[in-house]
Amino acid sequence: MPSSAKILLIEDDAETCAEIAGALGERGYAVQDQATGTGGLDAARHGQFDLLIVDRMLPELDGLAVIETLRAEQVRTPVLVLSALSAVDDRIRGLKAGGDDYLTKPFAIGELAARIEALLRRPVETRATALHVGPLSLDLIDRKARRGERVIDLLPREFKLLEYLMRRPDQVVTRDMMLEDVWNYRFLPQTNLVDVHIGKLRRKIDAPGETPLIRGVRGAGFVLVSGTEDSRPPADR
Amino acid sequence: MRAPEIFRTTSFHIAAASAGVFALGVLLLFAFVYWQTAARETGTVDRFVERQVARFAAAQPGELIRDLTLSEVRQEQHIAYAALFDGTGHPIAGNLGALPPDFPVDGHAHGATLAEDRLVRAAAAKLSDGRVVFIARDVAELNQLQRIVRRALLLGAIPALLLALAAGALLSWRELRRVRVVHRSVARILQGNLSERLPARNAADDFDRLAIAVNRMLDEIERLLEEIRGVGDNIAHDLRTPLTRVRARLERIRDAPRSDKELEEAIDVAVSGLDQTIGIITALLRIAEIEGGNRRAAFGEIDLARIVHDVAELYGPIAENAGIELAVAAEPRRIKGDRDLLFEAVANVLDNALKFAPRNSRIDLAVIDGPEGPIVRVRDRGPGIPPEERQQVLKRFYRADKSRTLPGSGLGLGVVSAVMALHRFRIAIGDAQPGCRFDLICAPFPAD
Repeated sequence: MPSSAKILLIEDDAETCAEIAGALGERGYAVQDQATGTGGLDAARHGQFDLLIVDRMLPELDGLAVIETLRAEQVRTPVLVLSALSAVDDRIRGLKAGGDDYLTKPFAIGELAARIEALLRRPVETRATALHVGPLSLDLIDRKARRGERVIDLLPREFKLLEYLMRRPDQVVTRDMMLEDVWNYRFLPQTNLVDVHIGKLRRKIDAPGETPLIRGVRGAGFVLVSGTEDSRPPADR
Repeated sequence: MRAPEIFRTTSFHIAAASAGVFALGVLLLFAFVYWQTAARETGTVDRFVERQVARFAAAQPGELIRDLTLSEVRQEQHIAYAALFDGTGHPIAGNLGALPPDFPVDGHAHGATLAEDRLVRAAAAKLSDGRVVFIARDVAELNQLQRIVRRALLLGAIPALLLALAAGALLSWRELRRVRVVHRSVARILQGNLSERLPARNAADDFDRLAIAVNRMLDEIERLLEEIRGVGDNIAHDLRTPLTRVRARLERIRDAPRSDKELEEAIDVAVSGLDQTIGIITALLRIAEIEGGNRRAAFGEIDLARIVHDVAELYGPIAENAGIELAVAAEPRRIKGDRDLLFEAVANVLDNALKFAPRNSRIDLAVIDGPEGPIVRVRDRGPGIPPEERQQVLKRFYRADKSRTLPGSGLGLGVVSAVMALHRFRIAIGDAQPGCRFDLICAPFPAD
């Protein structure tokens, strides 16, 4: 986990701000906060930040205006937009203004942390023709998956799901992220669909007696571990 | 009644305008009558005097003088003046001393004023021996007729105008009275008495039609408010249940501190309870967003079969886990719509079927052709939905009592309903004997 990354949090609600800053601090991030749009813009211009977390609605200067101004000034720091507005239009507007991801309030801290991690690790390498994570290897040309020497027989969507995880080794990915990126549908499933798919994938990857490679992370999602040592954050399975 | 208010009413304006038009019409009519009587009567008189002059001119000299002298003849012929003058203008016979000055002697009728200001139409003709015969007829009667016409105009039109304005005022006053009643009703409605209605007689005039339309609108508002109240109760119930659980659990664990593991468990229960409430709120907002209809702009061409196959692929493992066979049959069918929303609708219908289908049964997911357009049909072998509950299940929050314990926000089919309404598509729920048949009836692609 890339700890000590510097994050600027622009959020006007003091309590929310303290909660988020506290949770991110525990995860090893250095968080600085600002309560207004103008203050945030000023801080973002002068401080060297790895990531900006910007609330949509801010006093003095709207969150989207802050992002637009920064992007116009060629500041390319990744931005995660937070908002109490959940309409699709709002999300599109947030991304259009130059936000890299959009998270609707209320959210699980795990979801926020996973998305921050994803933004800090960007960009994902896409030119490789083969991926290797621990004992797993994925041939993107032959569309073949292996664990050690054993060939794993995967359906096309399972292949895509595994590829998604293997491009993000040791990184927590949430259910929402997978629905959006692997299935390309934005909707509210009434059932824990992703868990069922992950469960199926797990059964194919982990033969009886083998170390489980995909682990659940409570309150967040799943992580594909690259090492075999058990040093991951608390797993629920 | 305040005078200015009545003058501002629409009916008074209409009355005033029609009174104005009426007055103009009367004026034109009278002008016509006046012109007709004057011109026609003058013409008749003119032809008469011309004929008389011609007759005298052609008569034997003796007879001429006798006729001119005899007043009986004059009276009989309604001739006011008849006279014969010699070549130099001296009177020879008749009752006129001299020709009017500059009177043309051409056998044609002309107007003239004689002694004592008598208005006449007269004609003069020259005889073959140079003498001049003059005939005049009184037009006093004609003038009197014209005076009568003028008086009739004054006596008739002015009261008619006043009457029209008075009628307008009366109508306006009645309208004002009705407007006031409506105002009072609206005031009561604004105070929260939503069962109040505007008074409407059965006369079906404009005012009544308006009142009936407003009343219908009030019916709809009242119904919606009732529904919101009902939804509010349901929200309260669905939110309160997990929140109560969360609260009880947290209080219990605070009062009697236990092991870390128990503490952790209690917190997990609390978080999942809160997640459930958040899920309900999010789903509600989502339905509101879909119903807002802004998304119609984003409609594009989509293939129903593709959506159905994607949904089946997504839910396949779930069906598998539940021991349910998911049978898919879908040929490409183009429609116009929002891909994500239709995916969600089909997913929610299938999700619902999966929740009710018994183990080791089969669910059919198909795209078929119906008379209205392509249909996405989901058929399960579950308990089915009784006919009286089929409309209810599409409403927000409705959940058959038996399903209260199942996970989900209870809004899945509410979302389906909102998505279909946005697309102006239709939902039909039928009995598959056994099981439920859920049809999403789409409209064919516009160009087809």
